[in-house]
Amino acid sequence: MTYLVAAAERRSAAELPAEPARLRRDFRRFNLPVQLALAAATDVVPAAEDPASMAVVSLAPCQNGSPELYRWAEAALAAGSAGRFGATRMNPTHTLHVIDNLALSAFAIAYGSDGYCLGVGGAPGQAWCGMEILCERLAGGREREGLLMAGDQTRVADATGSRGVALLFSAQCRPYAALGRPVELVAIEHARRRSPSPVTAHAAAGLCDFLGAVARQGAGPFAYEVPAEQSDGTDHVTLVLRVA
Amino acid sequence: MNAAAPHRVVVTGCGAVSAVGATAGAFWEALLAGRSGIARLPRFVAARLPVTVGGEVAAVPVGRADRDVVLANRAIDEALDVAGLGRSALGFIWATGLDTYQEGDRGPVFRPAGSCFAALAHPFGEPRRMIAAACAAGTQAIGEAYWHVRAGHVAACVAGGSSCMLSPFYIIGFAALQALAADDGDDPSSTCRPFDRRRRGFAVSDGAGALVVESLDGARRRGAPILAEIVGFGMSQDRFDLNRPPEDGSGAERCLRRAVEDAGLTPGDVGAVNAHATGTRAGDLAEAAAIRRFFGDVWTEKPVSSLKGAIGHAMAAAGALEAVAAVATCRTGVVPPTVNLGDPDDGCELCHVIGRPRPDDGVRTVLSASFGMGGQNAAVLFRRLA
Repeated sequence: MTYLVAAAERRSAAELPAEPARLRRDFRRFNLPVQLALAAATDVVPAAEDPASMAVVSLAPCQNGSPELYRWAEAALAAGSAGRFGATRMNPTHTLHVIDNLALSAFAIAYGSDGYCLGVGGAPGQAWCGMEILCERLAGGREREGLLMAGDQTRVADATGSRGVALLFSAQCRPYAALGRPVELVAIEHARRRSPSPVTAHAAAGLCDFLGAVARQGAGPFAYEVPAEQSDGTDHVTLVLRVA
Repeated sequence: MNAAAPHRVVVTGCGAVSAVGATAGAFWEALLAGRSGIARLPRFVAARLPVTVGGEVAAVPVGRADRDVVLANRAIDEALDVAGLGRSALGFIWATGLDTYQEGDRGPVFRPAGSCFAALAHPFGEPRRMIAAACAAGTQAIGEAYWHVRAGHVAACVAGGSSCMLSPFYIIGFAALQALAADDGDDPSSTCRPFDRRRRGFAVSDGAGALVVESLDGARRRGAPILAEIVGFGMSQDRFDLNRPPEDGSGAERCLRRAVEDAGLTPGDVGAVNAHATGTRAGDLAEAAAIRRFFGDVWTEKPVSSLKGAIGHAMAAAGALEAVAAVATCRTGVVPPTVNLGDPDDGCELCHVIGRPRPDDGVRTVLSASFGMGGQNAAVLFRRLA
């Protein structure tokens, strides 16, 4: 069984966590989506029994990069069209803004992760795959807790729509901090759509909306229909939950 | 599928598209011949890039915006043909690397890695999972597929990875990180020199590698060709630094150890290692240390080879292409040489395969390892089916 026990959402890097110190030092090297994912993860870690041994699944941004990298790419494209691509220079730190697994690595360094760690790619709908993977891990008894974190942005040019989110799951029945009651994730069901539907590529937005729906629930069974645009466009996804 | 008992898991199809061959067979022949696919690229010379060499896949020419999808599908189609399966009944666990620009009719076209994955994944059944583990992604995808089939969650998966990152953007980016081997002399084929004293970094390449991973029972029922068995998967985090591994290779060693423990074997049972070894100074040293610690006293007897001198570093595809080679070694017993390795560096002492393939002397079990940026490690253990 899988229970949602804590969650956090971040929309601003104004107050990044000061601890762990190692993470604080590394923050400046990341783009905003990765910063926000890590900040949200840091918010929920205190609810974990043993952060080092829990399963960690990190969703890569669907919109990688940063305003700094975007400006460089624009300049490079202009230089390239004039046959002067090689004249452009990149700040090495900005190269990191496109690497897909850095949130996971930074988290592992900060918290000494020695359990299952997986980076899931930035394709539409992969958030539900990440959640499914954690359910499999907890159901298999391989870990007792699992963290899912994601950060993304709507537009790379100015990092608008940046959000970070983290969800902590446990195999033990514990109350969800936001409701004060246990929230069990019973199943994740898939049904193939007759035809593909349009999707919105944002790794964190779907999880944030899901948390909003959970927060509005009273006791009892609850089926959360993932909006089509937040799925992978191929499957209809339903999260089956039970609020105690 | 019965989720109660673990299933034995086998590989029933392989596909490869690389700088040295556009099929798994051509790829393997080139590796045995010690050929390098690293060449000077006129488009990089014309753009006056700081590095002008790379491992380009000639079979899928540059110049179409959907090259990333075409290249991946070539490897997937080949693997499915060998296995005799179609996409709709299979899961898909795949890595597509990082966002890129492809050359379109009107200039460079931005191609998010997620969009490439979505295009590839749509025809497949459940699950459709995209793996993001930097240079370890292809190996991680295969390991995840192995665990998934072993647990009975799915009967069969296509697993592997593809990458089209041989573009000016990544050449400049990796050059800024001082990870690339700079141009040197008139022989671009010797650019990447894994474990060698003269190594200077890696060469970026494109490619794709695909495996069909399914249960042994299912494969036997279908009468499918069984190319190798997958018996173990391990992963670890270095937990050390975003840009460099610990010098003692402890994170990598933990990963190798977990792969053999997952198989219920010991390091002594491993016949050979297909190393990650990209030709960087720090990475190769750490990996050599990890392999020696892993094997202990018997490291001098366990052949190790790296493919990066032949095919360059295909990023998300690297581990998948290396898995295709590992499967071939399991089938034939032959270990390909590490191209461009002539003088192993101090600290890189291993039982290297130099100059020519190591003939079949009983190698049946191969550990294929990948170590990604940020300290993400993955290793899959393949074995000839007894």
